[in-house]
Amino acid sequence: MRSLWQTVMSSGSSTVNKMKTHKNLKNGAFDVALTGMAIALIEVCKAAMMGLPNIELTSFWIIMFTLFFGKKILFVIPAFILIEGCMFGFGIWWVMYLYAWPLLALLTWIFHKREHVLFWAVFSGFFGLFFGALCAIPYVVNGSFNGGVRSGLYAGFTWWIAGIPYDLLHCVGNFVLMTALYYPVKTMFSRMKKIRY
Amino acid sequence: MTKARKTNGKIFIGAAVLVAVIVAFIVMFFLFRPRTAQGAKAITIEVVDNNEASTVYEVHTDAEYLRQAMEDAKGLTFSGSESEYGMMVDTVNGVTADWNVDQSYWGFYINGEYCNYGIDAQPVADGDVFRIVYSK
Repeated sequence: MRSLWQTVMSSGSSTVNKMKTHKNLKNGAFDVALTGMAIALIEVCKAAMMGLPNIELTSFWIIMFTLFFGKKILFVIPAFILIEGCMFGFGIWWVMYLYAWPLLALLTWIFHKREHVLFWAVFSGFFGLFFGALCAIPYVVNGSFNGGVRSGLYAGFTWWIAGIPYDLLHCVGNFVLMTALYYPVKTMFSRMKKIRY
Repeated sequence: MTKARKTNGKIFIGAAVLVAVIVAFIVMFFLFRPRTAQGAKAITIEVVDNNEASTVYEVHTDAEYLRQAMEDAKGLTFSGSESEYGMMVDTVNGVTADWNVDQSYWGFYINGEYCNYGIDAQPVADGDVFRIVYSK
């Protein structure tokens, strides 16, 4: 026969479980909303800045979301890449997206304890500067299949060299945008985290 | 030296490295950028359309880049959308290739190799053979 104490404890445990479930549901809804907001922000900024050569906020948002919301970026990046493919076609540029943005998130996560704005501005600048070199990889592979490794390396190298002026713009743009927006967005995301937790 | 000062020092070293890499990239660009040739050139432009029909244009031009050479080719028409990277050709001799519809595009080749530049940046040299191929 169950004692009164056992009944009270069981009832209490059930209430705790219900509260936990409620909290989990609430957190889940928050995470879904957050992921949706992140994707929308990236897409809207990308569309708004499309006319500017290699000046973009995608790098900035991916860095900031990784810094503040950690693993949730794992949902944001695939969705963003898929949407881009659906909007603009699954061309060779799309292959570059498959590894360039996840690499940025991974590197950000490795350095996530850094808090100095200049560190992130330099980091973002480096990413912009090497974006063309990263994107040359599919041309190396494609060229290697068509005419051997030497031909592939030549194709990738010439493609990268031709794009250096755009990489420089990308670097400066990333540096300036990170410098200007890091603190305002950090403050905003910190407030969001307080509401959430 | 305090930890904060050490960290700041590392960041400034990082910034200095970034500047050094930027300078190295600029030097690389000027060393290896595509060269153009001035003066008269005789080039060949072959267009292969969606029915694999070939049209050959023998062009005498002073153009330094492919776009102007294509404009000098009598009978060759082309159009496309202008972007920050130059013209993205979507229509040649009235045939439109649309990647979003059927993954088709106009592929550009120089002397048997795929062009690595847009038509506004592709240099033209005497004797070059260009192929513009409807691809799917």
